[in-house]
Amino acid sequence: MKLRASIGEYQTDIQILAEASRLSADIGGRRYEVNVLELDGGGYLFISDGRIFDCRVEGRPQSGRTIDVIVRTESYAIAITDPKRLRGSKAVDVHIVEAAHIVAPMPGKVVRILVKVGEQISAGNGIMVVEAMKMQNEMKSPKTGVVAALNVQVGATVNRGDVLAVVE
Amino acid sequence: MFRKILIANRGEIAVRIIRACRDLRISPIAVFSEADAAALHVRLADEAYCIGPASSTQSYLDIESIVAAAERSGAEAIHPGYGFLAENAEFARAVKEAGLIFIGPPPDAMEVMGSKTSARRAAIEAGVPVVPGTTEPLRDYEEARETAIRFGYPVMLKAAAGGGGKGMRQVEIEGELRSAFDAAKSEAASAFGNSDVYLEKIVDRPRHIEIQIFADMQGNSVHLGERECSIQRRHQKVIEECPSPVNDPYLRERMGEAAIKIARAVDYVGAGTVEFLFSDTSREFYFLEMNTRLQVEHPVTELVTGIDLVREQINVAAGASLSFTQEEIHWRGHAIECRVYAEDPENNFFPSPGRITFLRVPSGPGIRDDGGVFEGAEVSIHYDPMISKLATWGRTRAEAIDRMRRALDEYAIGGIKTTLSFFREIVRDEEFIAARLDTGFISRFNQRREERPSERPHPAGGSQASSLQQDIAIIAAALSYLRSQSQSPTSHTPQDESKWKIAGRAAGLNRTALKKRSEHP
Repeated sequence: MKLRASIGEYQTDIQILAEASRLSADIGGRRYEVNVLELDGGGYLFISDGRIFDCRVEGRPQSGRTIDVIVRTESYAIAITDPKRLRGSKAVDVHIVEAAHIVAPMPGKVVRILVKVGEQISAGNGIMVVEAMKMQNEMKSPKTGVVAALNVQVGATVNRGDVLAVVE
Repeated sequence: MFRKILIANRGEIAVRIIRACRDLRISPIAVFSEADAAALHVRLADEAYCIGPASSTQSYLDIESIVAAAERSGAEAIHPGYGFLAENAEFARAVKEAGLIFIGPPPDAMEVMGSKTSARRAAIEAGVPVVPGTTEPLRDYEEARETAIRFGYPVMLKAAAGGGGKGMRQVEIEGELRSAFDAAKSEAASAFGNSDVYLEKIVDRPRHIEIQIFADMQGNSVHLGERECSIQRRHQKVIEECPSPVNDPYLRERMGEAAIKIARAVDYVGAGTVEFLFSDTSREFYFLEMNTRLQVEHPVTELVTGIDLVREQINVAAGASLSFTQEEIHWRGHAIECRVYAEDPENNFFPSPGRITFLRVPSGPGIRDDGGVFEGAEVSIHYDPMISKLATWGRTRAEAIDRMRRALDEYAIGGIKTTLSFFREIVRDEEFIAARLDTGFISRFNQRREERPSERPHPAGGSQASSLQQDIAIIAAALSYLRSQSQSPTSHTPQDESKWKIAGRAAGLNRTALKKRSEHP
């Protein structure tokens, strides 16, 4: 199967063929013949030329979605894109958005809002304070601009990934 | 000796206390919130009582429910652990009034030391040097502003009832004071139910060195040497060592004596820790505060002295005299502890709650792991994100570091982000290995880390070995994608299926179910 892999800015083609415990791969022209053992809980044990690589994949992979792969103690954020999946899906949006979305990095509670909609702010200014695990964290604006939207109120419970505010 | 002890805590410290109870053949009683019904400390206890909903103010901080659980279980004593109610004099009194023993110091001593301002007064009276600062809580912002000008910036705002870095803010310039003052007050109010804050001058590049003390009811008091806790982030310790790399027996003696003086001044009983700031340049130390409880980092002292501090706490609370004298305490080798937090070091140490999908805990020579979780456990958003304390012992600091490096590499926690990767870098850091430590270590380490060219292998550059490892990661990701495709063939999505077929199958299922029921009336 032919796929595309990206780690940060690096992108490469990958072709793999797995038959029982034998796996052959071609990554941008580099060819590998490895033995693979599937472990419980999303783990793989690869043996390449006698060298052991204990791997764990975190999260369910989907085309275009970044997942964490841990090899030994090193973690890699990798996105696998399936060319067959690109056609059907809505075009992956790559137009540059001018707005910065302030996203909740974890579940928590909004304890203070420090700005108003329409307010001019500079990069690094605090937008709101979110309390999680007994710590108050100030959410800062990554850019200079105008507060275009505040989607939450003081006291609101927020989930990871919620867009709290937009700065344009 | 007690027959039953109730542990008014959760997580790794509850597990630690259960272990001491087991050693002493005492039956451990757990309490838990609704979020912790299947937690490790509950599973290891003999009895467990639910004391309220997930929110700690309605459970682990609810004095009435905890005392009621103790009475119901027939426990004779309560161990508060650290955090939650451990330094709450009102709780200690409530325990006493219920006719039970509080495993900790007398409430009066807790009260004096519990407020950082009265603790400072006690230290001054005992003749122990203190850092310049206010001895009374600040009345308002204006007083904070004037005091800060008097001491000169940078200054530190601290919660009077505080601990664990909560309600604490470093202020570099006056422009930052207002928001820091408000934040510290509101954080102090939500963490400790007391919004009082005070102000201290900041000592330049200080080491944080603390002395473990122990006193019994017979009037014996000893010190068990120091721990160095200079490696902190957000004023929270992350790595602790015993002894301090300064390792000066004369200094240990002087600091030990000062710590005992403070303990005696408040008629202290049990385990306590006196924290000092130590200036490398002047070799002077200043009293910072006293923690009237068992410390998170107590294992490093245990590893080096061989004394089980929790066991000793229980013995002393039961009325026994200390099982050792000052002369019998010897410090052997070196111990280091890393606090493993469910936090993402790549994202400003944001908490990373969730389910632990994979767990491999290191072991082998010189390794001790005090954990409170298991594979499948949920790291909740409601509580402190510390999930375990990994400690290593070696004959020398270098050997302890070697073992820590090995143990960190063996340690694997899946499903959540942890600080393990951060520690793996620290134990390889030259400044850390050379023991050039002070409380600014982490921010300088982070700076070095940013300046260092990325070690992330890149197939274009990078060594052959590292690019091989990266390719293996790509293969694993691709293989995992492949497997997910074969498990859920997309040509067969539910929408594609005929509604008739679905209905027919459901009817078929009902028929067989009915048939079964009629066979077994």
